[in-house]
Amino acid sequence: MPLPCKLTTTLAALSLSVASGFFAASAQADTLRVGMSGGYFPFTFVEQDELKGFEVDVMNAVGEITGDEIEFVTASFSGLAGMLESGRIDTIANQITITPEREAKYVFTSPYVYDGAQVVVRAGNDTIESVEDLSGKSVAVNLGSNYEQLLREQPNADEIDIRTYESNIEQDVALGRVEAFVMDRVSATQVIKEKGLPLELAGQPFSTIENALPFRDDEAGREQRDRVDAALSELRENGELREISEKWFNTDITQP
Amino acid sequence: MLNLEYMWGLLPVLLRYLPLTLQMATIAMFFALILACLLAVVRVSKVPFLNGFSLLFISFFRGTPLLVQLFLFYYGLPQLISALISITGVTAAVLGLTLHFSAYMAESIRAAIVGIDRSQTEAALSIGMTQSQLMRRIILPQATRVATPTLMNYFIDMIKATSLAFTLGVTELMGATQKEAAGSFLYLEAFLLVALIYWAIVEVLSWGQRRLEIYLNKAYQR
Repeated sequence: MPLPCKLTTTLAALSLSVASGFFAASAQADTLRVGMSGGYFPFTFVEQDELKGFEVDVMNAVGEITGDEIEFVTASFSGLAGMLESGRIDTIANQITITPEREAKYVFTSPYVYDGAQVVVRAGNDTIESVEDLSGKSVAVNLGSNYEQLLREQPNADEIDIRTYESNIEQDVALGRVEAFVMDRVSATQVIKEKGLPLELAGQPFSTIENALPFRDDEAGREQRDRVDAALSELRENGELREISEKWFNTDITQP
Repeated sequence: MLNLEYMWGLLPVLLRYLPLTLQMATIAMFFALILACLLAVVRVSKVPFLNGFSLLFISFFRGTPLLVQLFLFYYGLPQLISALISITGVTAAVLGLTLHFSAYMAESIRAAIVGIDRSQTEAALSIGMTQSQLMRRIILPQATRVATPTLMNYFIDMIKATSLAFTLGVTELMGATQKEAAGSFLYLEAFLLVALIYWAIVEVLSWGQRRLEIYLNKAYQR
């Protein structure tokens, strides 16, 4: 059955227009491909098609110093590690916490954000005040994040009903489907303040975390890491890192 | 309750990602149709060796989730074959959609072919047509008419399946919506809007399908 001629032409035109996207140029020396989820307010998010947030500002500032062109690549959070490992991005700017497991695999810059793991509940829920109170409760964490690991290390881990989510954990706690979620204190505070969801912090942060940029543990990766690390130190010294932090959080989260 | 102003402002933003979604689905559909026809003909004619391959192919691609296949192509295989790193998320998504849906479509095309009455084959052979003439001139044109509604079904399904491409870093319609919702926290508005957009596309397609069916049925009208 021959295809109608017009349809064939349209298809050919379509294939051509997408073909340009088929074979994207691989890494050039002066391009730093930065992966992020685009779904982590206020670190990385999108408003009216514009990628914004703390991470975006920090990486752009790094690019200013190193002279690299910063190319942002957004993907589901669970896809980011795969993209880094398969060489499709050079680093992940998504508040990646340094853990021993990750250090065995990647090389990190020095930390640029110091934070704590925070339990968040629906506003008015006073049955949960700390991690100890999570026994017998359902708790949401993001898939692939280190909060699941942190919860599993708690003495009452066996009694906590940990649920892993791809996204939208704030919404599910606000709706009352799960009783709490665990996230970093900084963005949890920000979400509650700016987005008007019926949520509140439950007690104090239960673990300190240090976040940094991971690179592949090979020659090119280590070279990029050194370059970016030097730029971060410079940003720290000239106060620009603090300025970016205060712009988004009204406080300096870049100091221990 | 519903922030209509936000939805109205988001509409032009999301529509920018519609061409990519449609391109991925259209290209994948084009190649899937070709592949599905080949697989179906091989299965019906029981071509030695190739028939076994078709069976295995259909079994695997129908038997595993599309998301697993996409992750395999994009993240898994580059560990074995380093050249595969250069394929982009769009390519991997189109490849995955093509292979996955061709397996389903091959079975519905095969059903359409097998469904053509045996007397047609006998009549064609009796006037000296070869096997390939029989296929091209008699069986496939009739099978096309029978298979069209189910193939359109798969196309509709494929358009919606492109939403998985965001896991490969391709910001298409659904990925764009997720990121906007993360920035505004207006989940209901964002996801309702994207649902309406998908629905509208499928409605336009269904209209096209009705026109196509009328056209294909012309020969059968008395």
